[in-house]
Amino acid sequence: MPQRPKLRVIARSEVLPRRVLEQAASELPFDLEFELIDSVKGLQRVVTSPESFDVYHQWHTVDLIWTARAIQAIDLKRIHNGALIKNHAVARRSDSRAFGSVFNQLFVQPSGTIGPTPTDQIVMLPLQHGVDSFAFLPAVLKEWPPGTPHSWGWMLDKRLHGRVAIMSEPVLGMIEAALAVEASENMSFADVGNLSIEEIDLVADILLRKKKLGHFKTIWNNHHEAARSMQRGAVLQSMFSPAIATLRSQGVPVVSAVPQEGFRGWHVDLCISSAAQGEQLEAAYAYLNWWMNGKAGAVTTRQGYYFVLPDLVRPHLSAAEWDYWYAGKPAETALTNPAGEPSVAPGEIREGGSYLERMARVRVWNAFMDEHTYLVRRWREFLEA
Amino acid sequence: MAKAKLAGSKPYYQIVREALRANVVDGNLPVGTRLLVSAVADRLGVSRPPVKRALDLLVAEGVIAPLSSQGYVVGALGGQESPARTNLHGLTLDLPPELGSKLGQPSWERIFAAVEAHIMNCIPFGTFQISEAGIGGYFDVSRTVVRDVLSRMDGRGLIEKDRSSHWIAGPFSARMLDDAHEVRRLLEPGALAAAQPHLDSSILAKARGEIDAVLEGSVKLTREAVERLETDLHVKALRSQRNRPLAQAVQLSQISLVINRLFYTYIGLHEENEMLREHALVFDHLLLGDGHGAAVALRHHLDADHERARARLKVLSVFDAAEIAPYLTRIH
Repeated sequence: MPQRPKLRVIARSEVLPRRVLEQAASELPFDLEFELIDSVKGLQRVVTSPESFDVYHQWHTVDLIWTARAIQAIDLKRIHNGALIKNHAVARRSDSRAFGSVFNQLFVQPSGTIGPTPTDQIVMLPLQHGVDSFAFLPAVLKEWPPGTPHSWGWMLDKRLHGRVAIMSEPVLGMIEAALAVEASENMSFADVGNLSIEEIDLVADILLRKKKLGHFKTIWNNHHEAARSMQRGAVLQSMFSPAIATLRSQGVPVVSAVPQEGFRGWHVDLCISSAAQGEQLEAAYAYLNWWMNGKAGAVTTRQGYYFVLPDLVRPHLSAAEWDYWYAGKPAETALTNPAGEPSVAPGEIREGGSYLERMARVRVWNAFMDEHTYLVRRWREFLEA
Repeated sequence: MAKAKLAGSKPYYQIVREALRANVVDGNLPVGTRLLVSAVADRLGVSRPPVKRALDLLVAEGVIAPLSSQGYVVGALGGQESPARTNLHGLTLDLPPELGSKLGQPSWERIFAAVEAHIMNCIPFGTFQISEAGIGGYFDVSRTVVRDVLSRMDGRGLIEKDRSSHWIAGPFSARMLDDAHEVRRLLEPGALAAAQPHLDSSILAKARGEIDAVLEGSVKLTREAVERLETDLHVKALRSQRNRPLAQAVQLSQISLVINRLFYTYIGLHEENEMLREHALVFDHLLLGDGHGAAVALRHHLDADHERARARLKVLSVFDAAEIAPYLTRIH
């Protein structure tokens, strides 16, 4: 009996706010099953059982899941505006630091590896990207003279003892901690996105000592917990932009830092399971193409995410929204978060400025490090201390 | 989730038990033969505890029976009243490779390879604590033997003691792969060049033919086929060089083979044409009697394979559940 196909999608909860899930369900001609997994379990599923999903919203692991052939190459010719993606990849070469791994691990090369030279086969469809940093409450500023530039070093500063929160995610958490150690210890790592064993030890030892001293108030797992952490007394912490939108809609005057050392860049992209074929594969392409209409990208713009082809989301944003989120101008009217609640007051300016200004300040991209197993060993020691 | 089979994981008492049972069934150990623990242990070349345990289990199975005086007798209870005092060394027994043949081999050596394989097969997935008592129970060996094995592993840098004096293995780091690769690319090509004059060209031609068969698709690329191809080049072809310390050093540096094997087991085999063509190139040089060229081609292969092993290690690092030996406990 032919059944109505059901598309199975795995993602972190941040990237698919409820409004997007509802839109997808009502606009696509097949059933959707979203599994929102905020831990490494999602990645484990993808790598070990490609037959258990059809589409994966990947983040900083495309090299790994391609090595495992858990995903299949995407035919760019079947993607609406696929040619634009290709052009974009070429044009963005001049901003390679600002857009880094969004485009340099995109195309299937003739040897079967992935690389930046454009071909008609991509391993992931780039979707959302942005920059993260820590966030703080205005009370923090009392500790520093007015005009002091924001610094990742604040995360480890004694003045904020017992009032700091950090995220539990090992890859991102370690990158942020490394940026904080660089700033507070006045040193520099060769590649913050790919630390050596000794560098991991150095950062982990500092984190462990700080934790035992009671420096950290909480360690959060997802954007819901991140928002709660600030409501409950953390004054400075790692942050995801959806939590900022939530906190602001509740009237919490949270400030997103623009650290002088630069941001942590990230991107989330769509991958198709290597096991998807026939109807499932057709549905997967339909889901990818649905994203390329820009509507869902407009929704996630309201929580601070940039869309890979900004011109596609622009028609679905008000002029005031576009000016605030992309152009870096003061909000002309009150703006809402994806849930429709007010989160930006008239006159506010987004910290760090326009799209290109913010992206140009990426210091390091999220990356699955070569010494990941070792990193996880030390990170768990920190979490369990 | 796919589970990897533990290589050589059977405890000694089970090996002894199965070997004895089979020899009774086949009649090599006739009904009525008296079995003393010490005599059986001597005949099989193992220590007494596993033999005692195996014999007790065989009693429970009804394969042998306890004697009121001393020892056991082959056959069910109530059969023979006066057992035959046969010299077991005079019997031709059909024994598995683990038994009989290793007379005089130190106890630690018998289990070293098995413990090493168990550890190597799990550390790509995380960090493990090793139980000394657990190893003793698993292999039926004394604490002295276990300590001997572990201190030798410590010497090789495979395990270490943590602050609370527990033995810890892992994690397998990219650094370990890098370090081993640096040593391997210096040694293995030289070892191959040294072996070249002694290699039998018909064996080389056969190995070369196997690669073609897989490349052309007439032989399916299976895990077994890959294992064979890897052994042809990285084990068999090196055997005829006569420098033993060199052979041992090369073998110690070949840890990326473990990563590749685990990747094939847990993730699967994908197209391996690059690896096959690299192997073919080495054999072509060997077939022409060009040891120097073979060494250069091998170094290229080792470098390329190192990059693949590094990428594969990354994939393995996200795994949670490897099948692990019972004396290992995952701690991170």
